[in-house]
Amino acid sequence: MATQKEYVTLISNDGFEFKVQRSSACISGAIKRMLDPNNGFAESTTNICRFENINGIVLEKVCEYFYYNEKHKDAKDVPDMDIPAELCLELLMAADYLNGLGTLSRGAAAEATQHGPRQRGRVPISNEARP
Amino acid sequence: MSGRRGGNRIRGPQSALTDFLAANNISAQQIRDDYERRRRESEQDAQAAGEGSSTAVQDDAEEVAAAVAAAEEAAEAAAENTRKRKRNEKEAIEKIKKGKAKKQKKGKKADSDDEDGDYDDGLGKEMYSKSRPAPGQFEHCEICNKRFTVTPYSKDGPDGGLVCTPCGKELAKDAKAEKKAVAKKPAGRKRRKIESDRLDGVLHNGSKTLQQLCIEKVAKHHDDIEEFGDMPQSILDRLGEIFAKKRVLNPRTLKLFLRPDLDGVAVHDAAYLEVEDYEQMFAVSPHVRKVVLRNACQLKDAGVEYMLEKCDNLEYIQLYAANLVTEEAWYKLFQRYNEKLKAVKLQWLDAAFEDEAVEEMVRSCPNLERVKFKLCRRLGQDTLAHLSQLKHLKHLSLQIKNPVESDALISVIQSVGHNLQTLSLETFLDADDAVLQSIHDNCTNLSKLRFTENDTATDAGFTALFTDWKNPPLTFVDANSTRDVDNNNPHGPDDPIGLASNGFKALMAHSGSTLQHLDIASCRHISGSAFIDVFNGSTIYPALETLNLSFCNVVDQHIVAGIFKSCPALKKITAFGCFYVLDVVVPRGVALIGVPKAQDAIEQIGVGVDVEGALGLMREIAAF
Repeated sequence: MATQKEYVTLISNDGFEFKVQRSSACISGAIKRMLDPNNGFAESTTNICRFENINGIVLEKVCEYFYYNEKHKDAKDVPDMDIPAELCLELLMAADYLNGLGTLSRGAAAEATQHGPRQRGRVPISNEARP
Repeated sequence: MSGRRGGNRIRGPQSALTDFLAANNISAQQIRDDYERRRRESEQDAQAAGEGSSTAVQDDAEEVAAAVAAAEEAAEAAAENTRKRKRNEKEAIEKIKKGKAKKQKKGKKADSDDEDGDYDDGLGKEMYSKSRPAPGQFEHCEICNKRFTVTPYSKDGPDGGLVCTPCGKELAKDAKAEKKAVAKKPAGRKRRKIESDRLDGVLHNGSKTLQQLCIEKVAKHHDDIEEFGDMPQSILDRLGEIFAKKRVLNPRTLKLFLRPDLDGVAVHDAAYLEVEDYEQMFAVSPHVRKVVLRNACQLKDAGVEYMLEKCDNLEYIQLYAANLVTEEAWYKLFQRYNEKLKAVKLQWLDAAFEDEAVEEMVRSCPNLERVKFKLCRRLGQDTLAHLSQLKHLKHLSLQIKNPVESDALISVIQSVGHNLQTLSLETFLDADDAVLQSIHDNCTNLSKLRFTENDTATDAGFTALFTDWKNPPLTFVDANSTRDVDNNNPHGPDDPIGLASNGFKALMAHSGSTLQHLDIASCRHISGSAFIDVFNGSTIYPALETLNLSFCNVVDQHIVAGIFKSCPALKKITAFGCFYVLDVVVPRGVALIGVPKAQDAIEQIGVGVDVEGALGLMREIAAF
């Protein structure tokens, strides 16, 4: 059972597949929980996460952010990642869904402590095992 | 010498001065030669040193003065001095001076030779380009090829020809846009912005969150957004905050935030909103439970009445600077929501809202849990008497400018203290030890305590408060600016006033285990040994995240090192005015703000080194 592969696959709702480093993808709380073997979701055995509500363009940007974040982990004065204006609302929704990309901002952090971790992102998209 | 040289040569006419000097065996030529030589040397020196021409000019002036002095000495030595001669002499000196000036100018011209070259290039280009047709003639536009009449205002096209008026306008527009794009903010401003963000505690190391990036982008393009769609409330709130901060929360963008299904409206800067916007707000979302309107300076009685009419479920009201709301409207508001109302927060009310309004509030809304009055100018001591009748109060924040006696405060604390979770008393100048004692006696559920800007309560009072207090350990303590204020006696009296050594030790002994935020700025009478005792490296304060020790001027790097060691969760130390903090190595994940070292950024963020490493490095630095 190859549970802890170095790379995981993220699939968008229009069928695009992105293979990204596990450690980078796991800054997303949702993905991290999906892939955690302790939670027993199908994703943790297949290493494939399917997102029915994120399209390929947005997911590509999300993957770009994974690596942008990884690259600038300890850096000071990080330049902002370029986000196309037309994508930013969709991307914002996706970021919220994927939960806590990077360190939480102050407001968000305060909220997380108030209400506990948000539940929405934790529900795996599909539980059926894929070959 | 001059005679010898002069003898073999046919000479032209000479100036009177030269004649005179020659008669006294002084050669003007020699003076000039010497001067020229020195000048050359100094010029070479200056060039070698890469200096400007200012020194050379100075040298020139000195040379002239020297030459003149020499000439004058000689002149004095001469027996016969007629007035005519003197005038000649002066003329000659003038001439010399003028000559110098000319030479300097010439020198400058020689320097700017490069520019001349450019001019030549431009000239060449101009010569090869088409000659510009005179105004009134016809010409074909270089861009659209239309025939047009040339005027003195016709613009040059990109290839040197002329363009017609419409094309010219287009070009001008493009040029303007380009200029705008090119004229970026200076790098300095951006850097300052980053520093300022750090001081606000906004910036973290590493990249921003994707949400943060997106929200910033959204705020930037606020004009193009039609609607937010099905955005979760938390993000919407965050967006509202950012929009307010960027001052783009106007009547147009307000509509984005209004949805009938939301149960809260939070406008953190409502200054742009007008009467009809308030009405729209309450018309679209009548089910709101929570209304936050800060800087609601255009909110009038009509707006409030509309809210009373439409919204039935209001529980939480936060209004800042709503100065057009009259006394009657406040009465109506409290009477309308009576028992439902849980929280009232009011700030910056100058024109209305008297003690009687508070009385009405207490009478109508007995279930209030959260009350905050800050900077409401008309409130006074009676407010406290009214507030003491609220039985369910859990959070009380007061800042009242009018004089308030300790007894009034004590009676409030006695009647509502046992339930309170938050007690914030700012700028009660006359509050004394008895107030602290009553907090000690009555409050047993506090988690947040603020008692600031006071020079009456003594260290003994603070010590008594935190010693054997039944209240569980606090998470938030702000005691800033509790100190003696006397310019003639900066160290204060022998029995210290304000939170000083013993009080501080007692505070940390009581609350150290859970304390997250501690502000003791300007508590000047806390001694260095008290700091060392408290942050001794072996006592751990596991929760402490932010610490403000600004203007506690005994703090030095040893104390800061102790703090690093004692507070594993530390994120931010603010230490403005702590001038003895030198050579600090800041461990990873901690931000040290305000330490004055001119050559460094005002904020130092620890990168890479952990606490042990940082302390080791600091010891090494100290050893030198």
